[in-house]
Amino acid sequence: MSSARTLTPVNVLTGFLGSGKTTLLQRLLRSPRLDRTAVLINEFGEVGLDHLLVQRVDDAVVLLESGCICCTIRGDLTGALRGLLDRRDRVEIPAFDRVVIETTGLADPGPILYTLLNEPVLQHHFQLGNVITTVDAVNAALHLSKNPEGMKQVAAADHLLVTKTDLASDEQIAAVRAVLAQVNPSAHVRDAIDEPLDVDGLLDVRPPKSAPAFVPAGDAGATDTLHALRRHSQDISSFSLVLDEPLDWTAFGVWLSLLLHRYGDDVLRVKGILSVQGSAAPVFMNAVQHVVHPPQHLETWSTEDRRSRIVFITRGIDHGRLRRSLEAFCRLRVAELSVSA
Amino acid sequence: MCGLCGVFLTETSWSDASVGSVETGARTRRHERLHRVALANRVLKPFGSRLSDWNGVSYLVSGPTGQTSIVPSVASVWPVVEQLRKVRLDPLDEGLIEALERD
Repeated sequence: MSSARTLTPVNVLTGFLGSGKTTLLQRLLRSPRLDRTAVLINEFGEVGLDHLLVQRVDDAVVLLESGCICCTIRGDLTGALRGLLDRRDRVEIPAFDRVVIETTGLADPGPILYTLLNEPVLQHHFQLGNVITTVDAVNAALHLSKNPEGMKQVAAADHLLVTKTDLASDEQIAAVRAVLAQVNPSAHVRDAIDEPLDVDGLLDVRPPKSAPAFVPAGDAGATDTLHALRRHSQDISSFSLVLDEPLDWTAFGVWLSLLLHRYGDDVLRVKGILSVQGSAAPVFMNAVQHVVHPPQHLETWSTEDRRSRIVFITRGIDHGRLRRSLEAFCRLRVAELSVSA
Repeated sequence: MCGLCGVFLTETSWSDASVGSVETGARTRRHERLHRVALANRVLKPFGSRLSDWNGVSYLVSGPTGQTSIVPSVASVWPVVEQLRKVRLDPLDEGLIEALERD
């Protein structure tokens, strides 16, 4: 079995059709950091990729018993990744130490993340890296309004790259950035056009040193574009919970598992830093729809404020009731149990 | 797989991960597991179902008429209870929240 040190990181690059995924991929692959990277792409665009390890992935999806679309094992992806492992072991392809998956423009990232975290073989060979989503500044309103997958791609992102800023007006760029900050305040937002491309920043998995900040959409111009974007994203909202008392992780796990069972399709993202009973170090947790990353201990708190902070991105869920529900679960008292060894 | 009972030894689900008190020695994994069962039972009580630990590797969901089902993690409990009891479990249901707040 592979140890945690030998797991190969996998980055998922997503974004709507024509939003600049392949252009970004080309720029990434020019970096020496990605010399030993295998690339899996769903669709070959007109822009050729001059890279040794490019393989096509088809779209077979195996639906699990639960019937939830985000809890599906992507059979095509499993086959492609297992194939890469086999061919690497047989020295048929150059050794690689990273995989980048470029999704189709219409892909829901949920099944891809679920496959990487839960497929029995893959979970012992790969670890999920950052999810990078490109957002076209010119056509964001159209993309995000017409396709629910567009919002899921934004919500799943660790990094949001705003593309085509050279073609967009200042008003359009400000509106897009405001809406992205509103929908996914836990992601890093940057302009793709920036040179040089911060490859290390995009690839390195760095749990936040402090809690993800909640950035309410500012009044970045009460513009038509902003109104259009907000109108189309009005049922999706993000909010931040700050909890004064350290959490009982077990109670939190029971609550979150039930919340995701009932509302997983509408809980697009849960990301936060938790103060947990019995642990001096903070715990980082991260979930995309039904797909929950293993909780991760961070080394230390980076600020004096040691309260739990959790950002939720939800669709049509009452924030106040969600908070009451969490607090009710976490205040449950059960008799301490006597356990014989 | 256990050769005697046929239980698959599955990977630990995130919902069964031990964070905090086990690492510091405040609780054993067994203790943590029973704590999880006790908490889940507080939620399941109004729905006539009960959860118990099964050999430290799985959980046993029981209905009032003796129906049982073995599940690998606490995250797997909820759909089984809904199927056994023909109920809808909703953590945001006002009645459930009020019942838990009264406890």
